[in-house]
Amino acid sequence: MSLAGTADALLRAEGRFSVGRGRLPWRGLATLLVLGGFGYGAAMGSWGTRPLQSLYSGVKVPLLLAISSAVCLPNFFVVNSILGLRDDFSAACRGVFAAQATVAVALVALAPVTATLYASSGDYDLAIVGNGAMFLIGTIAGQWTLQRHYRPLVARDPRHRIGRNVWLTLYVFVAIQLAWVLRPFIGASNQPTQFFRDEAWSNAYVVVSKLIWSLLAG
Amino acid sequence: MKLFQHVDALLRGSYTDPEDLRAGRIPVSARALGRVALVLGVVYGAFMGLYGVLRPENASVSQLVATSVKVPLLFLLTLAVTYPSLYVFSALARSRLRAHDTLRMLLVAVSVNLALLASLGPVTGFFTLSTESYPFMVLLNVVFFGVAGFVGLRFLGGALDSVFSVGPATAEGETSDAADTVAATGAEDADGTKDEPAADAASPAPDETPPPAPAYGGTWRGPRAAPLVTAQTRRDDPAGDASAPARRVFVIWTFIYAVVGAQMGWILRPFIGSPGRAFEWFRERDSHFFEALVDTIARLFS
Repeated sequence: MSLAGTADALLRAEGRFSVGRGRLPWRGLATLLVLGGFGYGAAMGSWGTRPLQSLYSGVKVPLLLAISSAVCLPNFFVVNSILGLRDDFSAACRGVFAAQATVAVALVALAPVTATLYASSGDYDLAIVGNGAMFLIGTIAGQWTLQRHYRPLVARDPRHRIGRNVWLTLYVFVAIQLAWVLRPFIGASNQPTQFFRDEAWSNAYVVVSKLIWSLLAG
Repeated sequence: MKLFQHVDALLRGSYTDPEDLRAGRIPVSARALGRVALVLGVVYGAFMGLYGVLRPENASVSQLVATSVKVPLLFLLTLAVTYPSLYVFSALARSRLRAHDTLRMLLVAVSVNLALLASLGPVTGFFTLSTESYPFMVLLNVVFFGVAGFVGLRFLGGALDSVFSVGPATAEGETSDAADTVAATGAEDADGTKDEPAADAASPAPDETPPPAPAYGGTWRGPRAAPLVTAQTRRDDPAGDASAPARRVFVIWTFIYAVVGAQMGWILRPFIGSPGRAFEWFRERDSHFFEALVDTIARLFS
């Protein structure tokens, strides 16, 4: 099957990507995640037309999606087990991984929009907001797939709702920090091209809470 | 491998089957549960202690070793300190569980708590690698311990509901036989003599081998099945309020365990290792857990 056909099957949840408990199509999902993530990352890093930044961002977007999932997976397993949902774990994983691949596919589909945005404006802040919007849309697409996989599970046992919400909460918590660590994704024009920022190993939540605190304290 | 099988059976609720609990049985030995708790605690401790190795000042591998030892100790020592009082309240409420089974049930709850904590280990490790903020790491660990503790308590509450529930006969709307219930708990009869529960005599010796995992489509729905069964019982027999003793015991246990656990954590500190201080196995005795928590939150924003 061609890559486009594989992506189509994923988005429609058909064939080997259908909802259920069959064997997880690892190779197809990984391929879509890596290529989709790389495609969007390359577009995202093309701000200021720096090929090296494009390459770095192309590597970082799939890393962001994959590492966030890997870090949260042990907890997902334990939570499902504690909830008594272990028998459905493969189906839940199928939904979660399909959702991740869907995010990547949706992002790569949005790459032309990002490229157009870059071409039409030199405003760096707009580039940041635009990419934030693209990730939001990509996440909504991922949620669509996740919902599709979880609907029969929740119908069978409402406790799946808890498992899904715990996954989403922890995933978002980890992904925000990982995105902070992996920045820059766009690459400000006044900064050198680099894989990590010098102050990469800091904490997004601490920075934000200090910012809020300083705003409140005046 | 056997250890993982125990963890698997534990998480699937095979050791807290409502039927077994109603019969006053926990089909696993305390030793096996202790081993599980120990290993899971060491796993999380290793992730937690990683900060001590990577901290900007006074980096020390000893902190990782110390935390790996201290995390399981925190839970097991707290249990050792509180177990006698927990058992007394349980017996006062006429629990079906004898002393050994009560210990096993508490160990099951502690192991579930530690399993969840260990599963959050990679998240702790990730944040340790990506941040130098000591207050953030302290708060993150407090939140993770709190979440894991909450789940462990929910689990324990569910199990207690099953232990104190009046059994399937009442759940189906039939008249419950109070005398049978009293006899089953081994409590005193009207004439003051004490019956041994029949279930206890029939109770098999704890098996080191975990029970086989239920096949897909089986009736077992995991540990959370216990509270659901009780909810059903309450709906069918609202006047009976069969789980009132369970709730009482649960509240008392929770209070004792939480207070002792928090202070035990304070005694065993440092777990993470403050960057400004050299490695030490224990700190001097001063202040208490709750004062330190408020202080840490204040420092995060300052």
